[in-house]
Amino acid sequence: MLDTLMLPFQFSFMNKAFIIVTLISIPMAILSCYIVLKGWSLMGDAIAHAVLPGVVIAHLLALPLAIGAFIAGLCCALTTGYIKENCRIREDTVMGIVFSGMFAVGLILFHQANSELHLTHLLLGDVLGISNSSMIETGIISVFVLLILLIRGRDLMLLIFDPQLAQVLGINVSFWHYGIQVLLALSIVAALQAVGMILSISLLITPGACALLISKRFGDMVIVSLCVAISCSVLGIYTSFYIDSAPAATIVLYMAVVFCSIFCYKIYADRQIIQKHQKKTLDIFSASTPS
Amino acid sequence: MEYLLEPFGYEYMVNAMLISALIGVVCAFLSAFLMLRGWSLIADALSHATVPGVAIAYMAGLPFSIGAFVSGGFAAVSILFIKRRSLLKEDVAIGLIFTTFFALGLFLLSLSPSTVDLQRILMGNILAIAPWDALQMVIISIATLLFLTIYWKDLLLVFFDEQQAWMAGISPIKLQILFFACLSATTLAAMQTVGALLVIAVVVTPGATAYLLSDKFNHIIIISICIGLFSALLGTYLSYFIDGVTGAIIVCLQTLCFLVAFIFAPKQGLFSNIKRRKAALRNHYA
Repeated sequence: MLDTLMLPFQFSFMNKAFIIVTLISIPMAILSCYIVLKGWSLMGDAIAHAVLPGVVIAHLLALPLAIGAFIAGLCCALTTGYIKENCRIREDTVMGIVFSGMFAVGLILFHQANSELHLTHLLLGDVLGISNSSMIETGIISVFVLLILLIRGRDLMLLIFDPQLAQVLGINVSFWHYGIQVLLALSIVAALQAVGMILSISLLITPGACALLISKRFGDMVIVSLCVAISCSVLGIYTSFYIDSAPAATIVLYMAVVFCSIFCYKIYADRQIIQKHQKKTLDIFSASTPS
Repeated sequence: MEYLLEPFGYEYMVNAMLISALIGVVCAFLSAFLMLRGWSLIADALSHATVPGVAIAYMAGLPFSIGAFVSGGFAAVSILFIKRRSLLKEDVAIGLIFTTFFALGLFLLSLSPSTVDLQRILMGNILAIAPWDALQMVIISIATLLFLTIYWKDLLLVFFDEQQAWMAGISPIKLQILFFACLSATTLAAMQTVGALLVIAVVVTPGATAYLLSDKFNHIIIISICIGLFSALLGTYLSYFIDGVTGAIIVCLQTLCFLVAFIFAPKQGLFSNIKRRKAALRNHYA
């Protein structure tokens, strides 16, 4: 029994997978708190899709994929910002146009290149077949993002809750607007090879959303979000070993289950509170009226 | 010359061009409304959320449009429910639901890999469309087109001013539900031509481009339809020569249209904006 349960830990590729998802999920969980509070989910979505042409070009030029992906993500952010400032179309629409255009270009390039890159691996990740060098890449990027978040996290928080005050206090608001997109792009790049571009969006939204439901302070929110992300990632990989499913999809489904349970609990708890208040008012009412 | 006409000699090419043109027109028509309302994210979400439905329908041997429709509707309901019952913002609810549904689809597909071609759901493949699927597409497109041509004025009123629509005796809720049904049916059709990942482009870009070129809503609709029609025709035609993904080429053409409009549009374009700004400065200093 115990042997079967410990079986995944005996394979080096499984251990690597455990380490890598933990590495990815830490910065993403922290970023997701900011994203959920600010309402920037589309931004993560956009950058994750726009990365594709960069990856293909980097592959053709034999550069590290992370560099190409990062440049493409940045391009998407800058183009969106520029177009939005110079015409009357809403930001989310502009973002949709830019990222889908870039994604289409990436697809065409990919088909013309006919390379040995697997499109499904880019889209959905390939955490079990990850190479040592890309693991180191991922580690460096994750630690870098984490460091920036630890050092400048409070500034970012101020920026999200009160941009005016942040400006008054001398924080460069437009710099950080792009700064957070750079951080997003970096963390997506790190997650690209492990969980793929589509599911990295989920890692950037769901942990923060879970945490927002049950925490009232930002610090608590970050901790809850970290717990959700790390435990779901590890559990997802572990489960996928036994039922032979797509690891990244399993991780996302675990997070969805956590979200659903928190959500239901929250509804139940709210109802309890309302009933308690109703009962109290009823008691007061019946006590005050002479029978 | 003969080389250029070659695609028309093949029946599958002609069929593909006709179907993708039809779908392109419907999507472009819808995109004019979506642009007004700022619902671009919803279309993206719907297209991703249909993936588990398609997967299950294929496995069970049902027509895929039924599965997709059910799971799309389920996703829409859960988005609304989450938004209503928690503090989460709308975009968070949408992002959460669509990634979850998408993951569910992938999960199901990974458990029984051989039944469905994932690449086909993600990228679409209009050139190899089965006759039965093609028939579903045509029915969906024509129904949506009919609905839109009959009700476009009512829809416009509802989207611009719900109160006034009420006063005029239109039921906004009923129309919006119908519109949503049309939207999800159309995203489904578009999945066949451009695939789940690029649906957002065909239901957003033509409308936005038209919005840069005109101020009148009926002009916006016409321009948007033209863009949708020609990009679909040309894209399918070109895909014969460069042997690429049809959907991606269509989307590229539309993005190109958007960029051209963004730079050169007579009133809203980049150049005319710069010119206007300079003229204003000159007047200011004169």
